[in-house]
Amino acid sequence: MKTPPAAVQHWIVPLAALAAWEILGGAGLLPRYLSTPSAIVAALWEVARTGELFVALGFSLYRAAAGLVLGTAAGIMLGLAAGIMPGVRHFFDPLVAFLFAVPKIAFLPVFLLMLGLGHASKIAIIAFSCFFPVFIASRHAVLSVNRLLIWSAENMGAPPRTVFFRVVIPAAAPQLFAGGRIALAHAFVVLFAAELIGSKAGLGTIISYGEEWVRFDLMFAGIVCFAALGFLGDRLLLAIRARVLKGQMIGTEEQVVR
Amino acid sequence: MIANARQLAARWYSIPLLLLLWQAAVASGLVESRLLPGPVAVWTALADETGNGALIYHAGVTVSRALTGFALAVLVGIPFAAAMARSAGMRNLFEPIFFVGYPIPKIALFPVFTYIFGIGTPSKIAFTFLECLYPIVVTCYFGFRGVQTQLIWTAQNCGAGRMTVLRRVIFPAAMPGIFSGLRIALPVAIIVVVLTEMIGDSIGLGYYITIWSTRFRFANVYAAIIVIGICGLVLDQALLVLRRRLVYWQREEG
Repeated sequence: MKTPPAAVQHWIVPLAALAAWEILGGAGLLPRYLSTPSAIVAALWEVARTGELFVALGFSLYRAAAGLVLGTAAGIMLGLAAGIMPGVRHFFDPLVAFLFAVPKIAFLPVFLLMLGLGHASKIAIIAFSCFFPVFIASRHAVLSVNRLLIWSAENMGAPPRTVFFRVVIPAAAPQLFAGGRIALAHAFVVLFAAELIGSKAGLGTIISYGEEWVRFDLMFAGIVCFAALGFLGDRLLLAIRARVLKGQMIGTEEQVVR
Repeated sequence: MIANARQLAARWYSIPLLLLLWQAAVASGLVESRLLPGPVAVWTALADETGNGALIYHAGVTVSRALTGFALAVLVGIPFAAAMARSAGMRNLFEPIFFVGYPIPKIALFPVFTYIFGIGTPSKIAFTFLECLYPIVVTCYFGFRGVQTQLIWTAQNCGAGRMTVLRRVIFPAAMPGIFSGLRIALPVAIIVVVLTEMIGDSIGLGYYITIWSTRFRFANVYAAIIVIGICGLVLDQALLVLRRRLVYWQREEG
């Protein structure tokens, strides 16, 4: 028997799982809380038609994006500064070494109490979580720039500014993106936890609403949207990276993880 | 000696400095001491709660859950990654699940896990397993794929069978890659356990944080945060020690 092409094989397991879920669920052989794919699609359509979905999606997206941008910007600036200036590095290194090991979500109660249940507390905790991976990546990126590149630029009379913008930043860019990608993943995890623990709006609320009111199709609809949001965010970041780093990623393993 | 002390001070001054500033801000009433108790209050809470065993008990719960989920993910993930790296059939079947699924925030599935496994330890372990499995499989997969083909050919040329090649050539060569996967997954395990304990449980450090923050005893919350940090540091160091023993031919990258 001829084996089907790889592209076809890729779909075997996911489609088989979906079909089994639908058939077994429809026959009542699965516990009720697993719902069925068709019911989930129907629930998605239901909340999409009433507009509820887009409001929730907008809230979640706004929080994730604002937190991510703030945390990443702070992480890149301080990380680059720490990479260039030993004084900044020595100030931040011990702090980051300790705080990095702590799940930042543990600070959520503190943020909730200081900033309330609205947007601010979520944005702050997301920014706080995103800061660390970006800071570490940026700091490391600057320190690992090939000294020869910097020396050659200096030798040709480039002032420090030019060296920074034309040599250090481009050389560090791949690692900055790697840090940003980790931060993006953190952003969604923290967003989810923050919305479940203390929130009155957003996708997390749809999920917990579905849970409380035994609307499991609705719960899964929220889960699907959340997963899609995280996935698309990652794809967007990879697309931006591919544009910015055109030609710089050739021959590296990172290329393979798409 | 003096130069050493100065170097040490230059490298570590920021932590005592911030602690001092923090205490000064609290003592002067600049910040609300109920929300942000000073280092002294946190230290007292830490000492008290460690002394009466509460923090140790909850930390034990959290760490044992994290390690169980992590160990399961290692036991399943590494053979899976090896199979995916060595067989085109496995690769075609499972690659999309891991590579497309990798950026999906799996935390969203947590409500489903609590329905399947209940709210206690099993759902925490199952969820930790899932969250650790992805980084372990993906990173180890690249570790196995990165093994130089010449090494395998050489071994085969010397008459080594499939299992011998796997055990004596591929595993050692992929070991650094495996360890970088483990080092990504271990903090994930702790984060996931604490997080899920915060969402819903009645034991563990995550629960401890939630319950004391609802009682406005933030000194205890910070004490628990410190304990989590210590657990994370200790586990990471343990992994580095293990790596030094198993991958003795290569220095770790920091």
